[in-house]
Amino acid sequence: MRQACLLCLLFIGCSSNFPGERTVEDDFGRTVVLPPTIERITTLAPSVTELAFAAGAGSKIVGVTTFDDYPPAVDSLPKYGMLPTDFEAIVALDPELVLASEQVNSPKEADIFSSMGIPVYFVAVNALPDVPRAIRDLGDLLGTSEAATRRAIELEDSLAQLAVLTAGLFERPRTLFLIDDVTLYAFGQGSYIHDMIDLAGGHSITRTLTTRAPVLTDEFVLNSRPEVIVGSFGPRYDVTKLVLHHPTWDIVPAVVSDQVYGLHPDYYLRPGPRLVSGAWALARILHPDVVINP
Amino acid sequence: MNRWIIGLLVLAFFSVIISVSAGDEVSFSEALSVLWHHITLGHGIAPDPIADRIVWRLRLPRALLALIVGGGLGIIGAAMQALVRNPLAEPYILGISSGATAGASLFYLGFLPPLISKAVSMPVAAFAGGLCAILIVYSVAGGRGHLSVTRLLLAGVAVASLMGALSSFITLSSPEPDKLRSVLFWLLGSLHLATWSTLIWPSIAVLIGLISLLVLARPLDGMLTGDESAHSLGVQVESIKRILIILASLVTGSIVAASGAIGFVGLIVPHAVRSVTGVTHRRVLPASFIAGAVFLLWADLVARAVLPGAQLPVGIVTAICGVPFFLILLRRSNYGFG
Repeated sequence: MRQACLLCLLFIGCSSNFPGERTVEDDFGRTVVLPPTIERITTLAPSVTELAFAAGAGSKIVGVTTFDDYPPAVDSLPKYGMLPTDFEAIVALDPELVLASEQVNSPKEADIFSSMGIPVYFVAVNALPDVPRAIRDLGDLLGTSEAATRRAIELEDSLAQLAVLTAGLFERPRTLFLIDDVTLYAFGQGSYIHDMIDLAGGHSITRTLTTRAPVLTDEFVLNSRPEVIVGSFGPRYDVTKLVLHHPTWDIVPAVVSDQVYGLHPDYYLRPGPRLVSGAWALARILHPDVVINP
Repeated sequence: MNRWIIGLLVLAFFSVIISVSAGDEVSFSEALSVLWHHITLGHGIAPDPIADRIVWRLRLPRALLALIVGGGLGIIGAAMQALVRNPLAEPYILGISSGATAGASLFYLGFLPPLISKAVSMPVAAFAGGLCAILIVYSVAGGRGHLSVTRLLLAGVAVASLMGALSSFITLSSPEPDKLRSVLFWLLGSLHLATWSTLIWPSIAVLIGLISLLVLARPLDGMLTGDESAHSLGVQVESIKRILIILASLVTGSIVAASGAIGFVGLIVPHAVRSVTGVTHRRVLPASFIAGAVFLLWADLVARAVLPGAQLPVGIVTAICGVPFFLILLRRSNYGFG
């Protein structure tokens, strides 16, 4: 009993403010108390790892999820499971901060880390400008603001260049972005994917759907007549399979004019810095004569 | 009795018309003209190609698949209830659906190489999985000479959980993790992959099931009175039971391969039907077939309409609409078997 009391005291002692401790608000609106300097971080989603690397804090990452495969430096890091989160493995790495993704992780996971005295910071990317913004935030958080600002400006410049190329385009092909080729998962309202399509000079036909992750009907696609269909099926996707799975699409303009493309999923489904390259690749598909070099 | 069947058939006909014409994309008159164009083999004005595809190649096969799946689940539910002489039996509760799902997911997720093609091997795997599940359940329940209903239902629940866990395991350890979302949709029961060619296998299986069960209608009536009295009525009880188990696995397997495990139809429909027609199988079976068909068609209509431009797995709708209806029915009616 006495030991327990002592332990409690110890914990209470720990949670009171240390000199230099910072209080910040994360993208979930949670209040996070951080130690003055952070040297060991772990991440809970591949997109967040990529953002942390972009912010110049790659060398502070001491562990990533088994889904992580970029940048190549993650290959030599300890890995832990993410579905579900392997709390033991992460705690064993003794991180000073855990970075989480608002899209993937839940605040309940954060509560478990918090109960062990490990702060969790959530990053949200719901629009393209969130990418450089999140990189700057992470730079400030992790004490690498110089490198983060540099990278953020690079990305912003790249986005601005693309915007210059595509802003004045009169023809904006009606574009459908699919996640799966059989069951038609797509992006609805409030996704960054519509920003990417806009910036690439297209018009996303699922932008106004109220469901965030709708499963489209074949008739919706037939009736909205997409001129380009792109899917995160991988660059080696055999596009004839799409019509095989959806035989009625033989008259969809995108199919008639051979405008169906498989895209590298990581550049579109991971809300991180590579979205910018993804937007460029999409622009080269939508406007090959206008957008030539990245 | 014939009045009921005819009434249900008329209802089914109009339900199909409503189903193929409901939706923002095509107007009612346009949908009718597409149907007319095809039924008269090309007479009348050629329809707009988009409307034609939507009505004739998407909505109509989907409506027909709903009819076949719903009808199949209805008759198998009725047959299982006779087999175990308990109104709680249905493919879902006895573990057949879960077993079929586990079998089919092996193919869906690329664990087993397709034997001939996915269209053939998925129903076969689903049939094998369903048969495997019901055989375990049945052998546990019938272990001591007679079939214990309590043991049957408990074993059914247990095997259903086991098979469900197997499906989840297969799903989560899939070599194609990107397929997870699609599989989830299919696991919850959905008719969204219906085409004219996906109709073939379920139609054949359900037709075999319907005809065989109609032939067995009298022995099924006998079985409701219990094994011994059925025997004294000249019913070959053991061989009938075997036939019923294989039929149930065949029909459920082909249905699950086409549309995933859609629950509650096989449970609710025969109940609703019996409260109207009585318990004679000569009436219960055809009425369960048509009522199950119409029920699933309407459930799918709701699944298509709830979200604009998007859809829900129909299994969610059958549970949400079906269960309260079933509970009300259960509270009101006081019919019994035999």
